[in-house]
Order: sequence, then C-alpha cells, then structure tokens
Amino acid sequence: MLKKAVIAASICAATLVTTPVFAESVLRLDEVAVGELDPAKASDYADSILMFNVYDTLVLPQQGGPGHVPHIAASWEVDGANYTFKLRDDVKFQSGNTLSAKDVVYSLERMQALGAGLSYLFAGVNIEAIDDTTVRFTLEQPYAPFVASLVRLPIVDMAYVKSNSDSEWGEEFLSANGAGSGAYSVKSHNPQEETVMSKSDSYFLSVADAAPDTVRLRYGLEAATVRTLIAQGEHDIASQWLPPEVVQALAKDGAQLLTESGTGAFYFKMNTTKAPLDDANCRLALSHAFDYGTAVQMIAINDDISAGSPATGAIPVGMFGANGPDSVMAQDMAKAKEYLAACQYDPADMNIEVTWIAEVPLEERFALLMQSNFTQLGIKSEIKKLPWALFAEQVSSAENTPHISQLFVNAVTGDPDTLLYGMYHSSTPGTWQSPEYLNDAMVDKHLEAGRSAADDAGREAAYQALNARLMEIAPTIYGFDRQSVFAASNRVKVPALSDPTQAFGLDGMGFSFRLMEMVE
Amino acid sequence: MSAVIRLLLRRLGISVIVLIGVSMLIFAIARVIPGDPARIALGPNAKAEQIASLRAQMHLDESLPVQYGHFLADLSRGDLGISLYTNRPVTKDIAQFLPATLELVFCAGIIMIMLGLPLGILAARYRGRWPDHLIRVLSLVTVSAPGFVWAVILMLLFAFYLPLFPIAGRLNDSFDIARVTGFLTIDTLLAGDFAAFTDALHHLVLPAIALSLSGIGQAARLTRANMVETYNKPYIEMAQAYGFFPSRIARIYAFKPSLIPSLTIIGLDFAAMLGNAFLVEAVFAWPGLSRYGVAVILRKDLNAIMGTVLIIAITFLIVNIIVDLLIAFLNPRIRHSARGSA
Amino acid sequence: MIRAMRILASNPLSLVGLLLVLLITFAAIFAPWLAPFPTHNGAVIDFAFANKGPSARNWMGTDLVGRDIFSRILYAYQISLMLGIVVLAIATPVGTAIGLIAGYVGGWTGSILMRIVDVFLSIPPLVLAIAMMGVLEPTLTNAMLAVTVMWWPWYARLVYSIARSEREEGYVLAAEVIGAGTMHIAFREILPNCLPAIITKMTLDMGFVIIIASSLSFLGLGVQPPTADLGSMVAEGARYLPDSWWLTVFPGLAILVAVFGFNLLGDGLRDILGVDE
Repeated sequence: MLKKAVIAASICAATLVTTPVFAESVLRLDEVAVGELDPAKASDYADSILMFNVYDTLVLPQQGGPGHVPHIAASWEVDGANYTFKLRDDVKFQSGNTLSAKDVVYSLERMQALGAGLSYLFAGVNIEAIDDTTVRFTLEQPYAPFVASLVRLPIVDMAYVKSNSDSEWGEEFLSANGAGSGAYSVKSHNPQEETVMSKSDSYFLSVADAAPDTVRLRYGLEAATVRTLIAQGEHDIASQWLPPEVVQALAKDGAQLLTESGTGAFYFKMNTTKAPLDDANCRLALSHAFDYGTAVQMIAINDDISAGSPATGAIPVGMFGANGPDSVMAQDMAKAKEYLAACQYDPADMNIEVTWIAEVPLEERFALLMQSNFTQLGIKSEIKKLPWALFAEQVSSAENTPHISQLFVNAVTGDPDTLLYGMYHSSTPGTWQSPEYLNDAMVDKHLEAGRSAADDAGREAAYQALNARLMEIAPTIYGFDRQSVFAASNRVKVPALSDPTQAFGLDGMGFSFRLMEMVE
Repeated sequence: MSAVIRLLLRRLGISVIVLIGVSMLIFAIARVIPGDPARIALGPNAKAEQIASLRAQMHLDESLPVQYGHFLADLSRGDLGISLYTNRPVTKDIAQFLPATLELVFCAGIIMIMLGLPLGILAARYRGRWPDHLIRVLSLVTVSAPGFVWAVILMLLFAFYLPLFPIAGRLNDSFDIARVTGFLTIDTLLAGDFAAFTDALHHLVLPAIALSLSGIGQAARLTRANMVETYNKPYIEMAQAYGFFPSRIARIYAFKPSLIPSLTIIGLDFAAMLGNAFLVEAVFAWPGLSRYGVAVILRKDLNAIMGTVLIIAITFLIVNIIVDLLIAFLNPRIRHSARGSA
Repeated sequence: MIRAMRILASNPLSLVGLLLVLLITFAAIFAPWLAPFPTHNGAVIDFAFANKGPSARNWMGTDLVGRDIFSRILYAYQISLMLGIVVLAIATPVGTAIGLIAGYVGGWTGSILMRIVDVFLSIPPLVLAIAMMGVLEPTLTNAMLAVTVMWWPWYARLVYSIARSEREEGYVLAAEVIGAGTMHIAFREILPNCLPAIITKMTLDMGFVIIIASSLSFLGLGVQPPTADLGSMVAEGARYLPDSWWLTVFPGLAILVAVFGFNLLGDGLRDILGVDE
C-alpha cells in the first residue's frame, strides 16, 4: 500500500516537473472526420480548411465585398472564352521548388483525371501553359463565374509529387502529405484523428508573428468533449456542427462566437416527381404551413447571434437575385389551406415521408416541427432517419428519393451558380443537392442566363427572375439562410470570422490560419 | 511430440478452419449490402463511367464465388483492398487503429484480472457472510449495464464534476511521441519520456475501467463459484481439519485449481471487450479500431468492414489459443502427459 | 413449485429481482396509462418545455424537443422487453435443437455443426451484430434478427455440452436398448435434463439481450427515432453532457435497473434449479 502511494506521488511529481512549456503558439480546432488532404478530392468543410492553408489558388475572394483579387496570379485578362493568367514569379512551394505554369496545368489535369471532389467545376475547361508564368484557360461553354471557381483549384507541386510517387497523379502520396505553397505545411496527418500543421517560413506573403505557429485540426470530437475542452482552455475553435444548446452553454461561460454567412441556406427539399408533391399546389400548401419563425428560434444562440436568419426567398440574402429583408418567409395557415384545397390529391390519403440525416441530430427537431405543422393541415407524415451514405445512394433514383429531405447547401465557390444550378437545373437531377428532381423549362432558362450573362446586371436580372419562378412553383421549403456559428476561446482572434469587412464570402476561407492572431 | 505442441497444432488447425468460416460469413454479410458501394464511395457527384470503372476494379460485376476468390487471393497477399472511407489501404488503417484498441482492451483485461480474481477469492473465503453478499450484489450491478452507460457515468463523475481525468483522447497534445508500436504506453517509454507515459496512463484509466467493469463482475462470480466447489472437495476439508490458516488454504489449495476454468472465461471476456470497445471508444473519443469500424459500417465500406471484423476474429482466436496453452501449462494432467509422452 | 417459491422467499435478493422484473413488465404493458405524457412516445414537440431538468411536472426532465423523459422510458421498456422475448423465443429453440443433435448424434454431423457454432462464437457477439446491422436497414425487426443470429450459438454450445455428458447416462442407454428413435431420445429423454440450465440462461439472457440491443441503438444501428429507445436516448443525450445530464443519466439507469432485475432473478433461479455456472 505504502509502496503504491510512493509510486503515485512520484508519478505526480514527474508530471509537475516535466510538463512542457511552450514558446510557440498552438491553435486547436475540430471538424468532422475525415480530413481529406488530397486537394483534388476536397469537398467538405474539413477538406476545405486543409486545402486553403496548405495550398494556394490563383485568386482569392475579395474580403468584405464581391469579386476576386489576384493571389498566385499577378493579373488576368478575359477574352471571350479565354482566360489568360499571368503568375507571380516569386512563389515557392514548401519543397523549395518554384511555382510555375506547368504546376497549374498539372493541377487542373489532375483534378479532371481523378474526377472526385469538386472537379465537376472544371468540366469542359482546357488549359495550356504559354510560358513559365502564363497559363491560358479555354472554356468550351461560356461560364460567367469561372474566375470564382478558381478558388477551388489548388496548385500542386508537380515535381515534388513525381519525385515521391511512381504514379502519374500521386494519389497515395497526396492523401498523406502536403505538396503546396501554402502558409502552413503538414507535419502529420491522420484522417480520423488529427492533422498537425506548422507555419511555413517561406510563404510568399508576409504572415503576422501572432499567427499560430502550430495548428492542430482534430477530427470527430464529440460535442460534450469539445464543450469541456474549451471550458478547460484546451481547445480553441469548435466546429459549426455543435448543437445550439452546447454553443449556448459555451457562450454563457464566456466563449466568443465567430460567424460565417452569406453562402448557403438550409432547405427542405421536396421530391417533385412523387405524388402528392408532383402537384405545385400541394407543395405550396406545405411551404405555407411550415413554421419558419419557430425554426429560426430553434437555432438561436442568444439574442444577437443565431445559426441562421429568416429566408426571404429561394436565394440567400447577399447573392445575386435575392429578395429584400421585407419579404421574410412566414407561416400562413390560411393560404396553406387555400393551396391544399386547390391540390388534386385528398389530404386524407397523404402520408408524407420526412427524412433527416443521421449525422445532423438537429434535423430531427425540424422533422418533428414539420410533422406537427402538417398535422395542423390534416396531413399525415412519417419521420425517417437516414445515414448520409444511404441518403446519397437513395437520391440517385427519383422513386427511392423521399418526399422531403433536409439539406444544408452552400455555394462552393461563393457564386450563386454553384448553389442553384446543381439544385434546380433539369440536367442535374438525383444528386444529393437535387432530390427535388425539378424539371422546369423556365427555371432552366434563367439558370442558363445566370451563368452566361455578360455582366453583373444581366446576372442580377436572371437570378431575380429565377427567384420569382422558384417561389411560384415551390420545389423547396426555403427554411432559413444559414449562418455558421463557431464557439471559440478568447485565445484567438479571427477577423475574417468576426469583422464583416474582413469576411471572405466563401465557406472555410475564414479559417486561413495566417490571418488569425493568437492572443496569449 | 509433446502434448502441449500437439494441442497447439490442433488449436491452430481448428483456428484456420474457423477463420475460413469467418471469412465466408463476413463475405456473405458484406455482399448483401443494399446499395451500390461503388456509388457510395465515389460520392454524390460521380459520373456513371466512374462508377462502372470502380465496380470493375472492385470485382463487383463478377459472380459471388469469383468475388470470394479474389478476396481470398488478395487476402493471402496481405492485401485487404482500399478503404473507400479513408482512401487508404485497409491494412494501413488497421495497423494504425488496432494498437489503440488493443492497448485499451489489454489494460481493461489487466484491471479485470487484478480486481475480479481477488474479489472472487474474497467472496469464496467468506462465502455466505456479508463480504460474499456485497461482492455478489456489486458484481451483478456491474454486469447489468452496457459499457457505454458506465463510460458516461464515469465520465460525468470523474472528468466533468471532479476533473481528475482527461475526458477524451490518448495523449495530451503537448507530447510529441514517435509512434513505433502504436501502444502509447510502450512508445512513451521507448522515447524515455516518463511524463508522457504517465499522461498516456492517465488517459487510459477511465475508458479501461468502463470497459472492464462488467468483466470484473463476471470474473469475480466465476472465481467464487469455482473456489466454492473446490472448497467442498475432501482435500480442502482435510487441510481445514489439519488447522491450516484460512488464507493459506484460500491461496494455495483452493485458488489454483479454480484458476483454470476462470481463465477460459477470461478468454471469452476478452472477446466481449473487443466488441464493447465499440461503445466505450465512442464515448471517450478513443481513436481505435472500433470507432473506425462503426464509421466504415455507416458508410458501407466493404473492404474496411471485412478487414475490421477479420482482424478482430484473428485477435480473438490468438487470445484463446494463448489461454488454452496457459491452461495446458497450469493443468497437471496435461502437463504430466506431456512429460510422459516425451 | 411451492418449494421454489419458498426458496425464492428465503433468498431476498432473488425476490428483489422478481419484483423488479414484475414492476418493469407491468410498467411496459401499462405504459399508455401510467405515463404522465402518453403521447410523448412519438413525434411530439413542446418547445416551451424543451431541455428542462427534473421538476414536479417532469420527474426526469424533458428532452430537446420538450418530451417527458419518464414517459419515454416507460415506452422504451416495451421495446426492450419485446425485443428480448422475440430474440430468445427464436434463438433458444434453434440453438437447443442444433446443440442436442450435435451432442447426441456426435460424429461428423456433430463436428460440422459445432465448427459452424465456433465460427459464430469466434467473432465477438456485438461485432457480429454490428456488422449485420451495418448492412441491413436499421429497424426493430432487423435488430431482432441480428441479435438472434448472434445468440443461438450460445444455446447450441450449452446444450451440446450437457447432451454430450448425458449421452452415456443409463437412462439414455436404456432407451437405446429398447430401440427408441434418435429424435425421440434427443428431444424426449435428453432435452428435459437440459431445461433447468436453459431456463436459467434465458432469464439471465433477457438482461444481456437488452444490453446488446441498447448497444446497437447507442451506435445508431437499432430502433430508430422518434420511437423511444433507451440506447438511443443515451447516445443522443451524451452530446449535451455535462449541462443536460438528465438526458443520459435516467435512460442509462433505466437500462441498469431492468438488467439488474433479470440478473438477480436469474441468479436466484440458478440456485433453485441447481444449475452450475
């Protein structure tokens, strides 16, 4: 017994003496697993954080406003379908290699060849290297927001990949290692556990000293764990997926709340091919019956900050074609009943299948809310939980696609085209974004006008018309405009996520670690 | 050939047969998955040609026996295919996640033996008196809740309300330990970092206790039952009649013969723990094979599911062989017959 | 029977077990009448009372959409007990029949049957059920199926070992001598001698089935919401620790109490029926 006590005491003493003291600053944050390090396969939020920090892109979104600014590119010219980019000549990869036009060509071709992640953005794009610092993209179809999609083309160090891998595209190598020019280099990567990155000393832009020296991006932490780690000062930024109650508890304890908005919305998508939702009147009845007010209350953190703001129409506020704040969506039972009366189906026969994604428990509450709203109309409904993988599989056929699917969709490049085209164009049915299976000639026309319009005014007009049409045929219940809320310790300052004039208007870009400042 | 070696060979032979059966069983389970694994793997934006080519690559377009043949051929090369979830070879994933689970399970096993056997001995020695009743009720309580309930309760009490232990993970971030074996308690010692070693142990305490609680109860009950049976044997009564000290009787005459059946059950409990680790790892964010297993199952990741279940079955068989050998070693009948035939 | 009652009465722990089992069964059967909020089993929302701790109105607090946790626990017992009964009602006869045949007939048939049993037993039970649930749709029926598939081999193993030892007993040899059929001997002569062990195991197993089923739903592979289920209640509540502790602690204790009851009772039965551990 005594011996045990002595050992215990010496263990404690050892812990006290050798606890390491940090000279360097560490930022700790979390996201859902897995973190995909291969930039050509990046699609979700964690992947984007990795990509934006380890790799660079030709352009960056303008902070605090619309448009794009040069980054790796020094300048660019547009001539019809030809986009010619002049590259900076002072950009070095973390390997020491100089970034050149060949790397840009390799990166685009690699993305197209692998066909994963967001590679669909670059379908029909051809590229050639004019000289070491000039590349020219040629589009097969006119695409107005092409420059915006370049924020999704990370430049990979071709020579470094080839020297470390036998295969043409180095998939295995890049899934475990970084090969970029970004401000942070990968120290270790475990797709389920964490990625450790450290500040690179050779970045081509100057990086503030206060920016974190080391960043630990942890994956798959439980909400309760994050909540406690932040309270104990052992975690810095929580993912946006924390349930509102937990964010509330953290805010009460003094955590700061970071926000990111304007790129997406939360939708309740209706399968327009399945009775009774193939009748627009029925869809309109459901969308008027939905209690938008309560939904927004459910996601409020406190009086000032909420994980969403009331939707004003089919397009989130801040994008081309959005309606003004005066046309906020609200429940209107009288109208709902009117539309229901006009619907060709008998409400007594309806049984609406409302699904929610297993990985997002908050959605269960929306499902329950919807169910009680529909009951008020005299419509029966059934709630079903679906794991994401199964959902993605089911939506590939219109028949198996549930009546109502709940989805958070965002514009992957920040441009409305990448939000709306994939959801509503008749050529893209049956993806996870388009369980509506919408097939409407007018919607198609407006969408095409939106991506081919020559100037911003033309695009604004096209998207306004689209918005009006989408409200008229209601393929979707436009739940709320999404605002991501991140609970964070006070050890870190993130202007891009707290100051609207510094915001990027692109999901995940606010997590550019080089722009953060550690306070302690 | 000695009896022990003969036993070992026999066990290995049976294990191989069982493993083939397991592989067929898993293969059968994995192939009835509803939904197309290739489509799920490639994600929502994949095109039909990509899906077709992945299907061909995974042999999904061939007949089941041919698919099983491919599976066995790959397996014999130690190739379990690529995990569609992590995009890495399954063997690599398993090599990375298995040590964390084994470390947890071994630790829980040690706690189970260290607490379960003594409690059983105590109960048997005081059979029918209050320590016996108390231990009986306690062991019934511990086996009455699944590991995740214990995990939540322990976490709430000793990590949240009384923050004595860390609530998640295996090691504090501040330690940078080279992963040699994957067993952090060993790696930290290899690195000579004693502080990191204690930190790793510190992280192990709550999950290991949560995992071992039901095993402790079972081990205690079993040891008690076997010892009570031994106590009723004539030679113990004789020892008592000779006036030997009760503690000596308990330790030497009653305990040893009772150990043998207990060992068998400990082997089985180890298996149960490999399964229950699924639950405890989820609560403590323990980055082990079980967490990986659940993730791949939710994503219908065929290769990874098969790899995970197979490796768990192999681990289980190995442990059982070790237990059998231990029993053979402890059991005079087998040991002596070994000597006799040598 | 009277003797059994007397032994039971003299063993207070088993009596407690019996009472707990009766109480839980009663609560489950009469949940619609006993629950303070009988509608809260399903998809009901009451945001005014969401996420509140225990109070006079809601003894065990409310969940995140305002449903009464106590009411939901009563309903969840229905699911747990039904699952246990169905699983054992299928697994026991199947396992017993296979064990009897393997044990009494022996030879090649017995070896093959027992190797099959070994295959099932060499995957940790929960892992097998998880793997099965992974490929099936998570519904109550499939959860029962998965647990049943992992359960029968244990009965086969148990009955096999008893049948093996009974095979050489005098009464079996006597039956053989007078020319009784194999099936007759296995099911009429040997089976009755296995019954005490089987009944004890079934009582204890009710508890274990509840544990395994709740484990499956804890991992999201079992009964689906909005149906109340103890395992998924714990899993969902765990995200809100430590602030909303009532979401997890009460359903967790509910599992503990139910299983404890069956274990106490089974433990008592073992003494009464004279079964070895």
